[in-house]
Amino acid sequence: MSQKKLTVVLSQAQGKDPVRRAIEEEIAAALLMEPGVDLGIVPALYDLHQGHTGRLYLEGIQGDMVVISWLYPRAAYWLLDRDGIQGQLGETNIKPAEDNDDDEETEEVAKPKGIGAVKFKDRLIYCLDLRDAKDHRVYVNEVRRILGECRKRWDASGENSKPAIVQLGMNISNPASSSNVVNGINFPKEEMLKVPGRRWYPVIDYSRCTNCMECLDFCLFGVYGVDSLERIYVDNQDSCKKGCPACSRVCPEQAIMFPDYKSPAIAGAPVGAISGLKIDLTKLFGGGDALVLAAKERDKELVRDGRDAVGLSVGIPKRQSDKKDSPKDDLDNLMDSLDTLEI
Amino acid sequence: MSEPLTFMMGKFAAVVPADLHYSRNHFWCRKVAGKNRFGFSSYAIKLMQDVYFLDWQVNAGDKVALLEQIGHIETSKAVSDLFAPVEGLLLGFNPEVLADPSAINIDGYDKGWLFEMDGAIDSLMDANAYHAFLEENWEKAQRMLKGKINAGDE
Repeated sequence: MSQKKLTVVLSQAQGKDPVRRAIEEEIAAALLMEPGVDLGIVPALYDLHQGHTGRLYLEGIQGDMVVISWLYPRAAYWLLDRDGIQGQLGETNIKPAEDNDDDEETEEVAKPKGIGAVKFKDRLIYCLDLRDAKDHRVYVNEVRRILGECRKRWDASGENSKPAIVQLGMNISNPASSSNVVNGINFPKEEMLKVPGRRWYPVIDYSRCTNCMECLDFCLFGVYGVDSLERIYVDNQDSCKKGCPACSRVCPEQAIMFPDYKSPAIAGAPVGAISGLKIDLTKLFGGGDALVLAAKERDKELVRDGRDAVGLSVGIPKRQSDKKDSPKDDLDNLMDSLDTLEI
Repeated sequence: MSEPLTFMMGKFAAVVPADLHYSRNHFWCRKVAGKNRFGFSSYAIKLMQDVYFLDWQVNAGDKVALLEQIGHIETSKAVSDLFAPVEGLLLGFNPEVLADPSAINIDGYDKGWLFEMDGAIDSLMDANAYHAFLEENWEKAQRMLKGKINAGDE
């Protein structure tokens, strides 16, 4: 039997919604007593700033972990990645209610076009979305299933034969204790749960990002930067303008997420993961051109800062004009191709 | 009542009932018990296909501007934000399609209605004008769709 434990981090909802708090509490109560599981509770993941005890705790976790939050899994995974909490995305069995009739996940991995995560840590991070089921047992059972899966991996890699020196004696967790212990460091629960202020910043999905730098050209608030490997990254998160999702509209790969934004496609919904299959008909239904809308949103923020509006004159890619050259198809072909989208 | 018009979308015949009015963003409008009732035209439904999920972001009693975003839809083929077809007052939504949106696909011109509004419906087109509008814009619509399918998105 493996001595290792699976760390489960429960990220609370922003605000004080009693319905959300209730399911969080049910899950926490069940997992506190669950053998093989170490449970940590933190405030909303998205709001954890550098130095927050909850974030330090997350950074300290070494092995496989499950992150249960009110965010889309893609958003949770890549926001942790940006904060240096990295690993491979684990496959979960919990799916959004509406697509239980088809197995779309095989499609999602079909064409990894993006540049991918840079540092690769050999552990799994499973991200569960608390909006996917109303019954807390769904999450508890999924944690048990994941634990079983992880135990098999641990046993296969023989990892549990290595002495876990730092954890010896410290990690015999007592559910009632007032702190979480990771790597011998004490994280007082009270500190971990301190509610941070709301934050607003973009999160890049590097499985989609092609490093085209259009976001860098578009954003005039210095949010984006380039790292030492010349990869785009969200440099100054807190320079971002609250509520403004403009750069995500400009991104040609839909790689930029704002996890708190109201429209699911921008918040990181799984629909986006199969965007090759779902067409965005917003323009047809009277929505403005995405680039025009983005420029408008950006102008609003510029003016609010006492700067001049720039409209479409700065950092707008010239994609529109290229489109005209694509060959025209006859009507039947088009409708056929719509129909073949059915998988 | 006059015969409905049809608009050929490739092999598919989109029905355009002659007695309704239409907005440029593909809603039909009919007076029902003194209220203007709106729903998706057959053209819109063919492009979206099976509706999975419908979400309204405004409430009954809200004033909305022309083309202000009022909701979001997800279907088997598409996602889209939805925008007000006219300026005016939102009176209410069809609770049945909120609970089960399949009526939109089964009976889009009647039981699958979406919402009722009080507003500037003079701006709407009659069936002939809507048919001409579809014809005129079909090539552009195809180019847009084709671009979306091939490129994933723009």
